[in-house]
Amino acid sequence: MTKLLRLLDPHRLQSLLLAVAAIAAWEGLCRLLHVSPLVLPAPFAIAAKLQSFFVTGTIWSHLWATLVEIILGFVFGVLAGLVIGAMISLIPIVERLVYPYLVALQTIPKVAIAPLFIIWFGYGLTSKVVITALICFFPMLVSVVAGFHSTDQDQLDMMKAFGATKWQTLVRLRIPSALVLIFAGLEIASVLAVIGAIVGEFVGAQAGLGYLIVALNFSLDVPGVFAVLIVLSIIGLAMHGLMRTVARRYIFWIRRNEPPVMA
Amino acid sequence: MVNFAKQNAQRRSDPSLDRSGPALIRIASLEKRFTTRSGEAVTALSNVNLDIRENEFISVVGPSGCGKTTLLRILAGLTQASSGSVQFGGEQITEPRTDVGVVFQQAMLLPWNTVLANVMLPAHLKNDRSVATAKRAEHLLAFMGLKDFTKKYPFELSGGMQQRVSICRALMREPRILLMDEPFGALDAMTREMMNMELMRVWSEERKTVVFITHSIPEAVLLGDRVVVMSPRPGRISEVVDVDLGRPRTLQTMGAPRFGELCDYIRSIFGSESNTVHAL
Repeated sequence: MTKLLRLLDPHRLQSLLLAVAAIAAWEGLCRLLHVSPLVLPAPFAIAAKLQSFFVTGTIWSHLWATLVEIILGFVFGVLAGLVIGAMISLIPIVERLVYPYLVALQTIPKVAIAPLFIIWFGYGLTSKVVITALICFFPMLVSVVAGFHSTDQDQLDMMKAFGATKWQTLVRLRIPSALVLIFAGLEIASVLAVIGAIVGEFVGAQAGLGYLIVALNFSLDVPGVFAVLIVLSIIGLAMHGLMRTVARRYIFWIRRNEPPVMA
Repeated sequence: MVNFAKQNAQRRSDPSLDRSGPALIRIASLEKRFTTRSGEAVTALSNVNLDIRENEFISVVGPSGCGKTTLLRILAGLTQASSGSVQFGGEQITEPRTDVGVVFQQAMLLPWNTVLANVMLPAHLKNDRSVATAKRAEHLLAFMGLKDFTKKYPFELSGGMQQRVSICRALMREPRILLMDEPFGALDAMTREMMNMELMRVWSEERKTVVFITHSIPEAVLLGDRVVVMSPRPGRISEVVDVDLGRPRTLQTMGAPRFGELCDYIRSIFGSESNTVHAL
């Protein structure tokens, strides 16, 4: 009941109406102006294609392949970002020695080196996971480093004044402080993971939604391409939504910073 | 002014008013110099001498830049003196001590911990998880009128309540001395007066030596046994003024003629240093 009420919230209702109106206009214009489906397919044609994907079951193996790439790549990339980011933040010598090179490495466009990974790791799952992990790694790394740097100096003094050891300050203050930006990094990485997997599949693959887009494009099935794009954006939204939900649970003190109700 | 000095002398000779013991804190020829980022040398504190007795309430008042916060940081062991000595019960202060409690300008609570966990922080840092400690935390919170808020988080509390939690935390390990750095500066005037009364109540219950830093002259006079008046560039003590107002003091004390005289007198100290008069 409350969920239904939230859907009926005027702002949500307005944006929902806007979407419906846009889709209706799109459909209307396509019909009225006889736009070729090769240029811009109408929404109903895309919906029909999407339905047939699931009815015939052709999409499942591709969907599964891409999902595995996204999740494995995300997990490895994020874990590497966390570990190396924490080391850079907490061990000064690592920061001095390693960080400049990592930043330099970051300037290389990952898309440009994707073909290399195909050569090194083959057309299978591994190359896609490596590319996805690499794309997730940097935003995560930067977020972790920034997170550890964001600890409030006055809070550090407070811990010191109450006699906290370095370890206690780390566990009780620095890590929780860093969480806010770490979760921001996770949010960014979750969206980039989808891009990473698709880029990898574009360069060379035997299965996956990116591979499917290339194949459909080749046979000029534009409604099919649009249908896959919808599936991809749903995956992206789901990943992002999941991260936000987890973040809201673990950094509950952040978004509730509204003025106190009790005086 | 002559009259005032005479009264001050009378007060000192009156043993019934004397709540002092031997000096608990002895600050002698304390000096603190900083080098700014541009390489400029700044003297934050110069030739500061002060004895603070056990159970005494010392207010420190002065314009910004007079080094009062630096003085408190040195007392807290967070900053090292450049020269001179600061002794606590005969020991040199070089690092934070467990028998010193600090209340900062902002409440500085850990937002991810409940009110109770925040108050117990100093005990937890010493791995003290005894029942007696939890009892003490709850007693302190109840005394501060926060009995129903122990399980709340700081963001659910008003600024005044957060600062009360912060005072409870400072009192947690039963410190011998409580250092307070403009603790009510961020609060609105009404809450501030309420907190002043609250602090008086705490001080009468848990007899402590208090060093209270403020930039409000009335607040300094209302709370303190003595008011240390500081001036900037370089930060130094201009004068130490005895507050001969009886206790307990209430908000009505502020209406007493003597209260007004004392405030005027302290203001006149700043007035005689023409370059600081605008800072107040």
